[in-house]
Amino acid sequence: MSPKSPKLPKSPKLTAAERMTRLLAVIPWVVQQRGAPLDEIVARFDYPRAQLVEDLTGVVFFVGVHPFTPDSMIEVDISDDEVQINYADWFSRPLRLTPSEGARLLTAGQSLLSDQFGRTGDVDDEEAGPLLRALTKLSMALGEAADQAVEVRLGVAARETLAPLRSAVSQHERVELEYYTYGRDELTRRVVEPLRVFSDKGNWYLDAWCHQAGAQRVFRVDRIRSVQLTGENAEHRRSDAAESFKESFTANQADPRVVLRLRPDSAWVVEQYPTESVEADEEGFLTVRMPVSTLGWLERLMLRLGPSAQIVSIDAPLSPELVSEAAGRVLARYRAEPRLQRDPRPSASDGDPAPNRAITS
Amino acid sequence: MDKLERLLNLTAALLNADRALSAEELRQRIGGYPQARASFRRAFERDKDDLRNMGIPLRVEHIAGSDPPIEGYRILRSEYAGRDLRLEPEELAALHLATSIVRLDGGETGLRKLGGASNSVDAAEVGHVPFDDKVATLIAAASERRAVGFSYHGVAREVEPWRLSFSRGYWYLAGWDRLREDQRLYRTDRISGAVEQLDDATQPIGTPTDPSKLKGWELGDDAPFTVRVAVDDDQAAHLQHLLGEDSEAPDESGVVSFEVRNREMFRSFILTFLEHAEVLEPPQARADIVAWLEALT
Repeated sequence: MSPKSPKLPKSPKLTAAERMTRLLAVIPWVVQQRGAPLDEIVARFDYPRAQLVEDLTGVVFFVGVHPFTPDSMIEVDISDDEVQINYADWFSRPLRLTPSEGARLLTAGQSLLSDQFGRTGDVDDEEAGPLLRALTKLSMALGEAADQAVEVRLGVAARETLAPLRSAVSQHERVELEYYTYGRDELTRRVVEPLRVFSDKGNWYLDAWCHQAGAQRVFRVDRIRSVQLTGENAEHRRSDAAESFKESFTANQADPRVVLRLRPDSAWVVEQYPTESVEADEEGFLTVRMPVSTLGWLERLMLRLGPSAQIVSIDAPLSPELVSEAAGRVLARYRAEPRLQRDPRPSASDGDPAPNRAITS
Repeated sequence: MDKLERLLNLTAALLNADRALSAEELRQRIGGYPQARASFRRAFERDKDDLRNMGIPLRVEHIAGSDPPIEGYRILRSEYAGRDLRLEPEELAALHLATSIVRLDGGETGLRKLGGASNSVDAAEVGHVPFDDKVATLIAAASERRAVGFSYHGVAREVEPWRLSFSRGYWYLAGWDRLREDQRLYRTDRISGAVEQLDDATQPIGTPTDPSKLKGWELGDDAPFTVRVAVDDDQAAHLQHLLGEDSEAPDESGVVSFEVRNREMFRSFILTFLEHAEVLEPPQARADIVAWLEALT
């Protein structure tokens, strides 16, 4: 619910139901305030000004109960852009929250609370106070166990990582990251200018200008091993971050494709990774076509699936031999003299297909 | 007459009534309805649906003394208005901030019913949390201590919900499974079909499992055993991260120990490290990995 400018209402035409639900909230509020400026009603209730004036004077003014004598009708007065409403006895209280609205308010509130103030908010905490008190009151209205009913983790990341990143965003400061590039199995150091920290579907991401890449990149915060504030000013400002995020997650046209035949018990693959087509046969076997962003990602997937999956076809330069080759490499480690450390092999790129491209430069 | 005016008058009449009113009484009291009987009925049915869709609790009762029984309608003020939250302006502003910067999929938040907020929020979005009616229904049931019924993996369940937790991209329901007489955890996206409302919960709320601490290799019926795994230097931090916040760090030779209760999940997990990790002990677990890989070469 973003507040909108009165002059540029996003939805100039409200439906009868939208006008009605707004009026059922506007009327008790104005009554309780003992009158309110027109523009404040417009802003608070997201009600286009012209429509509001028309509805108050042309509709609400005629609302009442049988026998519709003056004392049984709502009285509306607008003068000097100030609205007065009287005799609206039946609408003196707002309509209750629906279970879905209540659940949404509770969820949004709990998300912010656990993110910004930790799990155990303290009522004495001046910043957390208003939100915590609001949620306590809301919970009391929603049910006896509502205060325990929702828990949201926006992402998994160490506070030592998130805090400096957020500070760098607000201070426009460059940072040096130690970043684990899942795709290439290596820890890299890079200087970036944090633009935004955000959570999507349970993971924290950093949107930043990356000096190594010379471009805006999205990093997964849980793969950032350390953050060093540099004290240097950032030069780049946020451009359309949503766009860059989207692009980062779209499969590259140039990526080779693989077609896998999966046993029914391996359907989780479809849930977890982007697919281009999925066909199920009568026995529940799936034929799945997927983009392969990196070789290593497919190697991992195939080793995990083992006999549950078969490569039906695969684009060059990849070949079906990749499974036995990968298995052979791992076996080589087990067959070698026991040793605990080994040299990192030359980077064979791999990783989750989706976040990987966002991350590697 | 404007339809909006008619709906408002209908609502006022139903709230004002001290007994249930018949459709005919409402037609006479409100005005704005078509004269012809059939078109009146149609318009009245649509209006009732509209009110219900707005969340207005419309009651249907038999009118006392009517024979044959006639259906009557009314709205109880106590059901219409719910509890007054008495939010202070700064508390309402805090909720407004939360709903502005935490984006939930679809649907209204109902903030306007609480008085709306006029100040614009000058803060970037913090995050996006998937949300749907199923999750909302389960949160409401947990809040009100009501049991629900649903189908999960094709099996009917009766559950007293305790808590809905969003973690790593999924919503989990923790609660008491009545048929299994035990605590269970469900992923809400795997609930198929509708969630049915049942009677009041009877079991006390226990300690819900925290899904963020769930690890596949710990969830199983295998006899628990401790594994020792050697991991390459540059992957050690990643492995530790996956093992969880309270896991121990690998020792100086890159070896980490942890407990396993699910052989299959453990194998799957350790293979995601390819040749960068190696199961050292127990011999059985090591042999299992080797046999699995040999079958693939």
